[in-house]
Amino acid sequence: MMSRPSGPVILLLLLPGFGLIMLFIGAVVGMAVAQSFGLFNLGGESRFGTEFWQDISGKRVFERSVRYSLYIGFWSAIFSVSLAYPLAIWLRKPFVGSGVIGAILKAPLLVPGLVAAFLFVNVIAYHGVLNQLMQAIGFWDGPKRLQNDSSAIGVLILQTWKNLPFALLLLTGAVQGISDDVLDAARDAGAGSWARFRKVIAPLSVSALQASIVIIFIGAVADYSFQVIAGPTNKLSLSQLMVFYRERGDWNAAAVVGVTLMVVSFLGTIGLATAAQLVFKGRFR
Amino acid sequence: MTAFVNRTLMIALLVVCLTWLVVPATMAVLWSLVDPSEPWTADKLFPPAMSFYRWQDMWENSALKEALINSYLLAPLAAVLTLALAAPTAFALGRYAFRGRETIKLLCLLPLVVPAFVTSIFFSSILFQLGFTASRFAAILFAHCVLFLPYAIRILSVSFEQVRDDHVMAARDLGATPFNRFTAAYLPALRSGIFAALLIVFIQSIEEFSIAFIIGSPDFITIPTLLFGSLGQDFVRPNAAVLALILVVPNVLLMLLLERFLRSANPALSSGKG
Repeated sequence: MMSRPSGPVILLLLLPGFGLIMLFIGAVVGMAVAQSFGLFNLGGESRFGTEFWQDISGKRVFERSVRYSLYIGFWSAIFSVSLAYPLAIWLRKPFVGSGVIGAILKAPLLVPGLVAAFLFVNVIAYHGVLNQLMQAIGFWDGPKRLQNDSSAIGVLILQTWKNLPFALLLLTGAVQGISDDVLDAARDAGAGSWARFRKVIAPLSVSALQASIVIIFIGAVADYSFQVIAGPTNKLSLSQLMVFYRERGDWNAAAVVGVTLMVVSFLGTIGLATAAQLVFKGRFR
Repeated sequence: MTAFVNRTLMIALLVVCLTWLVVPATMAVLWSLVDPSEPWTADKLFPPAMSFYRWQDMWENSALKEALINSYLLAPLAAVLTLALAAPTAFALGRYAFRGRETIKLLCLLPLVVPAFVTSIFFSSILFQLGFTASRFAAILFAHCVLFLPYAIRILSVSFEQVRDDHVMAARDLGATPFNRFTAAYLPALRSGIFAALLIVFIQSIEEFSIAFIIGSPDFITIPTLLFGSLGQDFVRPNAAVLALILVVPNVLLMLLLERFLRSANPALSSGKG
């Protein structure tokens, strides 16, 4: 790497890529915050105030949306990582067929979210293959309505289906990076499988675990398409609520929901990353 | 014992994964082939009559053609423009050591962290504020470029790091012009990264839903927005199956190609020196 850059040259080089990102994201986030406080109004006079926050935060639909989005984000991250972690440890050392297993597990990465939602809805449809199978083996007497279930199990299954491969990719890289020498030394010192996991593997892979949890949480908490297609019809995710207000032309309310979504993502991310750190590096040590 | 456990686990997992992938995919293919003359009812394992009627019908009587043109015009343009915008930043990050480099690398990921619908909605608000509502295509193209810059910058800066200083200096000592230096010392190391960046932005742009939906609808249609529409109120399962397959099949092929490029992005190989 060259080591004698001149400041203005670096700045010029950074402008079209990094500069554009900062300008665009800065403008978008700035616009959301400003509109949530009544500035840059599209439907009336602009005036700074907190009335939109007071109005929206007092609504029951808003509170339900926050709780629902947190529920989806939290459980999607937990389910994806809980399934991916043991698989990553299992696939740490190559064995006959492990490549095929890895490829099959990672295949959902190739499927766009909307297509995944369609495939899922097809399988759980009223006259779909799952209903037929359950009736054929005698578990259910008649077909059940599984789509848009009120506990959002469908959305959680979809999120896990889509995100498990991503968590697996990050976690496999981390556990494969742990050298055999370290694990052999732990084994020679008398550590059993569980002790090797909690004292060696867990602390050494906690960064990948945090990255997986955080990225999956951010994506799932802001979900729109899975929720609209497979989610409960009596609950709205924050993204859905934001789009709803925007379609009504209520930009300020949409902005309050948008800013809340960013704050919820940020705080949830910090909470989950800290919890992962405490659980895997603190208590287990 | 370990081999037995591995084999048993593998068979169990293969069964689960095949059910997880093969059954939904097969269902989509079968639904796309259902002939309207005889509906596929719950009592029949396979469609009683199969044909390409739905494919032909979607091609002739829906907005599919328009969506395909829009998506496949948007994606290559977004790929090339994003590459051009990313290259200078990637060069700076990959070739120069300067203060704040790691922070800039992290900040470049911002478009991936801000929720997609927040970006879409407030970008549309900015467009309204500026009175820029003439070309939805240009607005979506611009947003796609910025949203996918993180991928291109990341991939290209790794490629730029792999360019060997001794190759660059050797070319300079031999009196090569800047262009010849680029083709002899830089290009071999960059080639895989360039193709990978182009492909990943292309794939992301084809799949992208929120920007195309918020900025584009109802007039500007892409394949994902058409698919989303067909999954809503006017849900016709065989038509949605056709659209889902049109969206997923080229993407899977392109992703497999991308994996080949990323795998071949080997510093020794791509710099021509083992």
